Amino acid sequence: MKLLLNLVRKDFKRNKVITTALAVFLVLSALMMAGGLRVTGAMISSVKGLNEMAVSPEYIQMHKGAFDKEALDHFVEIHDYIKDSLTVKMLDVRNANFIYQGETLEKCLMDNGFVVQNNGFDFLLNMNNEIDVVQDGEIGVPVFYAQELGIKAGDVIIVHEGDYRKELKVSTIIRDSSMNSALASSKRFLISQSDMAEISSYMGEWEYCFEFLLKDGASTSVLAKDYMDAGMPSNGVGITGSILRLMNTFSYGLVAFIIIAISLLLIIISVLCLSYIIRATMSEEHAAIGAMKAIGFPEKTIEKLYQIKYSILLLAAAVIGYSAAIPFGDFFSSSVIRYCGSGSGEWMKWVFPFIGIILLSLIVLLECRRIIRRNLKSTVVELMREEEQIKKQGHYSLPSRGLKYRNLTIAIGELKCRWKEYVVIFLVFVFSSFLMLLPLNMKSTVENPSFITYMGVGQSDIRIDIQYTDNLTKQKDAVTSYLENDSEIEKAAIYKNGYVQSQNGLGEWEYIRVENGDESVFPLEYLEGSAPVGSKEMALSYLNASELGKKVGDSITVKYQGADLIFTVSGIYQDITYGGKTAKAAIDFDENDVEVYIVYLNVKDGVSIAKKTDELRTVLTVGKITPVNEFVAQTLSGIMDDMSLVEGTAIVIALLLIILITVMFLQLVTAKEHSAIAIKKVIGFSNRDIRIQFGIRILVIQFMGIVVGTIFANSLGGVIFGLMLSSMGASKITMLVDPLTAYLLCPAAQLLVVFITVIVGTKVVEKYHIRDQIME
Amino acid sequence: MIKVEQISKSFNNLEILNNVSFEIKRGDFVGVMGPSGSGKSTLLYSISQMDSVSGGRILFEGRNLSEMPEVELSEFRLTKMGFVFQNAQMLKNLSIFNNIILPGLIAKKETVHIIRERASKLMKRMEIEGLEERDVREVSGGQLQRASICRAMINNPEILFLDEPTGALNSAATDQVLAILEDLNHEGMTIMTVTHEPRVAAKAKKVLYIQDGQIAACKEFLTVTDHERELDKWLMELTH
Ligand SMILES: Nc1ncnc2c1ncn2[C@@H]1O[C@H](COP(=O)(O)OP(=O)(O)OP(=O)(O)O)[C@@H](O)[C@H]1O
Ligand SMILES: [Mg+2]
Repeated sequence: MKLLLNLVRKDFKRNKVITTALAVFLVLSALMMAGGLRVTGAMISSVKGLNEMAVSPEYIQMHKGAFDKEALDHFVEIHDYIKDSLTVKMLDVRNANFIYQGETLEKCLMDNGFVVQNNGFDFLLNMNNEIDVVQDGEIGVPVFYAQELGIKAGDVIIVHEGDYRKELKVSTIIRDSSMNSALASSKRFLISQSDMAEISSYMGEWEYCFEFLLKDGASTSVLAKDYMDAGMPSNGVGITGSILRLMNTFSYGLVAFIIIAISLLLIIISVLCLSYIIRATMSEEHAAIGAMKAIGFPEKTIEKLYQIKYSILLLAAAVIGYSAAIPFGDFFSSSVIRYCGSGSGEWMKWVFPFIGIILLSLIVLLECRRIIRRNLKSTVVELMREEEQIKKQGHYSLPSRGLKYRNLTIAIGELKCRWKEYVVIFLVFVFSSFLMLLPLNMKSTVENPSFITYMGVGQSDIRIDIQYTDNLTKQKDAVTSYLENDSEIEKAAIYKNGYVQSQNGLGEWEYIRVENGDESVFPLEYLEGSAPVGSKEMALSYLNASELGKKVGDSITVKYQGADLIFTVSGIYQDITYGGKTAKAAIDFDENDVEVYIVYLNVKDGVSIAKKTDELRTVLTVGKITPVNEFVAQTLSGIMDDMSLVEGTAIVIALLLIILITVMFLQLVTAKEHSAIAIKKVIGFSNRDIRIQFGIRILVIQFMGIVVGTIFANSLGGVIFGLMLSSMGASKITMLVDPLTAYLLCPAAQLLVVFITVIVGTKVVEKYHIRDQIME
Repeated sequence: MIKVEQISKSFNNLEILNNVSFEIKRGDFVGVMGPSGSGKSTLLYSISQMDSVSGGRILFEGRNLSEMPEVELSEFRLTKMGFVFQNAQMLKNLSIFNNIILPGLIAKKETVHIIRERASKLMKRMEIEGLEERDVREVSGGQLQRASICRAMINNPEILFLDEPTGALNSAATDQVLAILEDLNHEGMTIMTVTHEPRVAAKAKKVLYIQDGQIAACKEFLTVTDHERELDKWLMELTH
């Protein structure tokens, strides 16, 4: 054993660079693996903890307007699968009524409302996950705003309407198990009972949420159906708890998912590199192994020697990876913990990574053993005469017109003959450019103005929402007439939005949001079919179409005001707003049933969208006015924040990876081509020539890797992004690439890094001497 | 042509060459002998500047090689020097023929046509025609050694350096190589060869005997014919 350890130590010393590179690879994969699992563990614990403490509802039905309370109570009474129910009264207040630090909340997309603390379940929690209590004059602010606007305890929020002003002191930041995530479009502020009474007499509009908890084993779809059949109040959307959870998981889980995906790829790369290194060092050490065998070293001992070597490396990598994963994982789980707290299952973030690391070690060790065994099978004689073992590699020919660019010709020729040796490094280059580009491309896709088409509307500049007012129609008319007279506006169109009911594939009645307006003003690109024309056609969002099981040309029956309306499906479009379930049809909603009027408008060339927005905000105080690009950004803000985080990490990892692989590869390949280098020197190539040749070989491979990686990032990336967004309602995303970063800066950065690495890594060439060849 | 002035060379503070001076004239055939480890190869590498020297000067046609930048040196090696080593080394991804013409193509002094012609002529002369497209590993040691002489000659160098050119060859192959060297020297080629075989050194006009990093003795032969016996006697005296 002592002898073995001694041999291992010598081996480490001899192959310093390779060993270090290998170690870094292993550490990186261990880190990513453990880090990803730590984030997963923290996230599961966190989300679970919040749901448990807050007792989140399993079914929520929104409703606006009056309702029969007794009938609702009766409904709850006769359905014994309902464990508990709750009517939450929410006072919807326009964003312009809120003032924080001198500014209204108009720039925020969320719908805001006041609630008091619930009784029984659906509690709003403070940052210690305790049921929060606010005193008079105090307000609890959703963690979303703490995050987005930096609101903190002690700040003052003013609500005002006309001459009425009320100052509320922020007492706590609150966690809301149902409306926490950026993907949920409403946010609840917590105030005291008496403040609620006071404020509601000056502003706002009541909205009710009927919330239910079910007994074990009962399904929400049964409840939804019974509820609808009983004709319970339902002027609004019904949401199941699972959708809420999905939304949460999606916005928090994305990072964990991406990190784990990266770590899996990294592990594959590590194993590839490992097997490459083992093979390379083995072939270098064939003679040594042969000698060991010849002097009677048993095979088992030789195998052990290598296994000890890799086990030591692996153990070190595991320890470092696991420890480094603690700050790494905590950094990436900080957002979910801020939103949801640490939860009760904190053991998960310690145990998950541990199991992951053990699995990783097993995979690597087994792979090592397999490769070593295979190599040891060769006989002593074969090992000693390794030269003859190497198969003929094939020749390249010299151009008959002479060597105009000698280094280029030689480098390409050698590449042609030895391309097999470059497969691993090529894959790493593909992977790293993919890794770098994917988040970049996602970001540029979302930031591109045409991304709005995935939100079910054609490209436009500004969006105005008119809602929460007793006199919606009057307000709408005021807005339209103002816009008509504004000479800086190129075109505008108004859309009426309301709800109708439709039966899904399971026969359950569901509310779908229908938009009615002139679809030709801001034309939308349809996945299939086209925009509805006339009063008999309806276009469905992708998610709606698949849920209702409808194709273009099918007929669809919807219920509105008790009557059946029959439409033909004219087209299917992508939409990630409103849970992805929307439709477009000319349904003449009753004034009272209009949920919201939305105006889209384009400003004329040369008019600043930001200025116009500000101007409209001062004039049209009733509407919520948002520049469309901000609308997109805010809808996806949760994802994009995470994406920026991931983007930075991805760039660092990708660059680190290519530096490592280049160093390692150069080390191996120069050692392997020792004799070729020496010969080249003898026949008159300078050190510089030889280094240039290595550079060309690697950069050519890298260039191809980048091209392939870029293609992947655009095509496969679109698929991945589509998958990520499919739960929200998009199905086919075309990556909108920013050519400057994607095709110029990114490749340039990678090539530059490798270029520098090659300069440093080929310095060793100068030491190679024909003498060492002859002495062998 | 080459003037070596007081060169010294040490590895890890160990003096291998110690103030060695001598001169090679155009058309010379210099043999270098000496015990193993005495610094023969090191001397050869130092003269061609594949090893840097720790002291002294090497003047090649009046130019000081030890102060020449590396790129220029490699150009020098390419066009003015030819090298042959014990284990003939060639690039494995090129055919024999391409290995031979490669230095010619890099030098770009002459047209591809002329280089190819010369390569064919050289191969014919070395009696290895027909092996042009073979892989380096598909020919015998003697054939490969003759092919490397072809490669060394492709740019019409001014001097040919050889280090144990027959070390890995059997007697018949050694004879072939020796005959070629003799011929080349007759035609005016300057040759310097390191060897431990008196049979090889006997072809030289001048033999340097290296010991302890210095030229222990030097012998010039006046007649050009067989002086193997004469050399043997000299060596006997030296080693006892
Ligand atoms: N790279 C090196 N580092 C350290 N010492 C070296 C190196 N190369 C050669 N030596 C030493 O220099 C001395 C001379 O070596 P050299 O190869 O010149 O001997 P030689 O006369 O050619 O021997 P041989 O007849 O065995 O080829 C030897 O003692 C050798 O150990
Ligand atoms: Mg020697």
